[in-house]
Amino acid sequence: MKTALKYLAASIAFIVAIAPVYWLITISLKREVDQFAYPPQWAGFVVTLEHYKEAFGSSSFSAYFLNSVLLAGISTSAALLIGVPAAYGLARFEWPANWGDRIGDWILSTRMLPPIVTIVPLFLMLREARLLNSLVGLSIVYTAFNLPFVVWMMRGFFDEVPREIEEAAMLDGESRVGALLRIVLPLVKPGLAATAVFCLVVAWNEFLFALILTQTEAAMTLPVGIASRVTQYEIKWGAMSAAGVVAMLPVLVFASAAQKYLVRGLSLGAVKG
Amino acid sequence: MKRRVPEGFWWVLPALVVLVSLSIYPLIYSVKLSLSNPGNFSRLFSDRLFAAAGVQTIVLTAAALTVEFLLGLALAVLIDSLARGRAFFRTGLLVPMLLPPVVAAVAWRLIYNPQFGMLNGMLRQIGFNTEWLTWTSGQNSALASVILVDVWEWTPFLFLLLSAGLQAIPPEPLEAARIDGAGAWRIFRDVTLPLLKPTILLALLLRAMDLVRIFDQIFILTQGGPGTATETVSLYIYRTAFRFSNFGYAAAMSFVLLAATMLFSRGLMRVMRSR
Amino acid sequence: MRLLFSTLCLCLAACNRTPERSLTIAVNAGVEGTALKTAAKEWGSAHGVHIEVIELPYANLFEKEQLDLTSHTGAYDVLMLDDPWFPRMVQGGSLAQLPRQPDADFVTTCTDVCRNPYRTGAYYALPYVGNSQLFFYRRDLFAKYRFPAPNTWQEVLSAAQKIGAGEKMYGYVMRAAPGNAVVADFMPLLWAFGGDVLDASGKPVCDSPAAIEALRFMLELGKYSPPGYAGFNADEVSAHLLQSTAVMSINWPAWIAAMDDPSKSKVVGKIDFIPMPSGRAPGVGELGTWLLAVPTASKHSADAFDFIYWATEAAQMKQAALRGNPPTRRRVFEDINLIAKFRAFPAQLASLESARPRPRTPLWNEIENTFGIYLSKANAGAMDPAAAMRTAAAEIGKILERAQ
Repeated sequence: MKTALKYLAASIAFIVAIAPVYWLITISLKREVDQFAYPPQWAGFVVTLEHYKEAFGSSSFSAYFLNSVLLAGISTSAALLIGVPAAYGLARFEWPANWGDRIGDWILSTRMLPPIVTIVPLFLMLREARLLNSLVGLSIVYTAFNLPFVVWMMRGFFDEVPREIEEAAMLDGESRVGALLRIVLPLVKPGLAATAVFCLVVAWNEFLFALILTQTEAAMTLPVGIASRVTQYEIKWGAMSAAGVVAMLPVLVFASAAQKYLVRGLSLGAVKG
Repeated sequence: MKRRVPEGFWWVLPALVVLVSLSIYPLIYSVKLSLSNPGNFSRLFSDRLFAAAGVQTIVLTAAALTVEFLLGLALAVLIDSLARGRAFFRTGLLVPMLLPPVVAAVAWRLIYNPQFGMLNGMLRQIGFNTEWLTWTSGQNSALASVILVDVWEWTPFLFLLLSAGLQAIPPEPLEAARIDGAGAWRIFRDVTLPLLKPTILLALLLRAMDLVRIFDQIFILTQGGPGTATETVSLYIYRTAFRFSNFGYAAAMSFVLLAATMLFSRGLMRVMRSR
Repeated sequence: MRLLFSTLCLCLAACNRTPERSLTIAVNAGVEGTALKTAAKEWGSAHGVHIEVIELPYANLFEKEQLDLTSHTGAYDVLMLDDPWFPRMVQGGSLAQLPRQPDADFVTTCTDVCRNPYRTGAYYALPYVGNSQLFFYRRDLFAKYRFPAPNTWQEVLSAAQKIGAGEKMYGYVMRAAPGNAVVADFMPLLWAFGGDVLDASGKPVCDSPAAIEALRFMLELGKYSPPGYAGFNADEVSAHLLQSTAVMSINWPAWIAAMDDPSKSKVVGKIDFIPMPSGRAPGVGELGTWLLAVPTASKHSADAFDFIYWATEAAQMKQAALRGNPPTRRRVFEDINLIAKFRAFPAQLASLESARPRPRTPLWNEIENTFGIYLSKANAGAMDPAAAMRTAAAEIGKILERAQ
């Protein structure tokens, strides 16, 4: 009896978690007259793809989508390029007076800056550099955003690889960099992949910086595009929900791929899982 | 004392350069902005709207955190105790947390619409009079509605962390307590919870830090409205900067927010160091 | 490595996507922006200019435009702005002066708000959406209870009482959500009672006896309004009219089409639109025109001006009117063919010619924000009307002081 109750409770929780997402998907597939229908139709309605066609055809959502993809890819690559060596440097070398840990902590603390604190200066800085409303400018900001995370995550993974492995390789004539590239990195590949996935997801979901630092189609991202459809007076739910569904699919796919490392990533490496 | 620069320094240098120019320099710039008008800091103390925003932020943080923690803990214990299907339930429960916050907010805005939304629709079906249920459009219910959305979205986060923490507990103390004849509740209270404390602390601090600077969901759900009912500190800063074009005062206020976040992050570091 | 390089190339290519002749137009996401969008696309294809339309909701449109103007980023070439935003946006030379004066066919109240200083200065914008408030009421119900069309607010109140009780409907419906909603619905009452927000010298006078009386009258009307009206926005108000659950309200011309649309309305042909009822002072509707302006920082100002002059030509305004856009030219309002289609045009023109704009101050955004909070509180019963007005006046005073 108790087991049945437990499964019931778990199922209710499951449904509550999924229902709003399911509802969003149905709205994106319903005709307008059905969207406002009472009682709410959960299934058995006429399916239409007009909202997807409108969002990605006549509206600018395909541009927003492309921008989000490029932005996530570029900022993640840059963050890894700069962050992995930094993590290695902190993990592997001798640091006097605990400096290694102190630098590591400082790097992590920048992650905790509320975006709203730096947004106005960043806006003004990017404007001076003529990088406002550009993917390049936004990528730079996102890279800085993701960097602390990469350093922290990868340092943990590097710490798990015993030093002897590179030392053996270097005794055999390998350079430090070579040892890193050819020996250590392959060993931390899963960790690297998880870190990359996290960075991609963070860049994909980001909103505030994109909201302020972009002004036109040239750089607006998917979250910003979706937000711009949320109007006070008219209820244009179709295109908005279609874009929302497309916005959430890559994340769900990516995140389920990195599920194993979800806990470590979200808790900044403090809890292994 | 070695005067030479440690070898590792060169590896870390690029990262340091990026962070200093994109996180520290803007911070200094922000200080300059806020000092451009000396009245900015004194205004902080007499600004009724700022105080109200602060109160709302604290209320939101405390309420959301409490509910998310209790629900997350309950779910962690529940799912952990299931013999089969754990992976299935866990995958479903994680979905809200993985969505872009903007998308989650959009989904809930549809649900909350008083006339055509799913929630009032369903309630009307089972006989409730939904005329007074204005959710995010009502002054008295807006904050609670926003908290509800956050609970839906982030309870999975606490569930995940606490679940991992539960699984990391070694079986011996639990076994010992069971052999001693202790009941399930006593075991939970006296053995499990104390062992879980570091994870709990970590989860609470991480979540508190994010709640205090909450922005995306509220922006989509209510934009801080109706009026200022759901205006948290982040939103008030945003409005001051971008609607009233008062960058200096916005910068001054953002330092208060920074101070709050630093408090949490300091605590966080201490917890993580102690492991 | 190769992947990185190719992504970088893609990115740089993506950055240079905008072709030579292009116009970026910021419009309001809603009925007001629809006509302009279509006109823009037409003009663009006719002249070989690439058009990009950025649609944003009201509040965010203001933020983005304001940010672009104050930091001179030149991201937008044509701005669609609500007239209360004009005094702030024209500051600092951010908007480009019109090369040619608008002709005399435009309704004067609409072009007055395009001038800096108000009514006397040079022109910085062209009016596109001729919006001014009208009074919507159920002609059929008034006839049934033998009431003539309401001329004064007292008549409105008694009709609301009688008809509401008789028909078991809400005699009146209004929006009192804090912010723009409640202020827009309150201004006609405030003016009808002889009050105002700021006096001629710019001092707050919303705590005057006349103003407090106006607020008390609003609360009286509130007794015959749907519960929860203190949180209503425009769509709730219109929904009550369309669903035949309310008898009268203040509303904007943009909603006229919906009232007569059988797919949306249960009251097709039953609603009449008249100018605002009077009180001590003659009834005036609030002006809410949308203007088209070109930022000085725009890199395509020649094309931008070409476009806005074209869009506000009589022939184009007529096209836009057929698409549901209220015009700003007298000739278009008096066009016989259009009057046949849009029976409210004469009333709209009368209302537009006598409409009154909101106070012309760059601080209107903040003032409206503060004023709206206290008006809404009073309507929600959370504050006594006199106390609400006095606090509002004090807070507005602080805003004005800080700006010195």
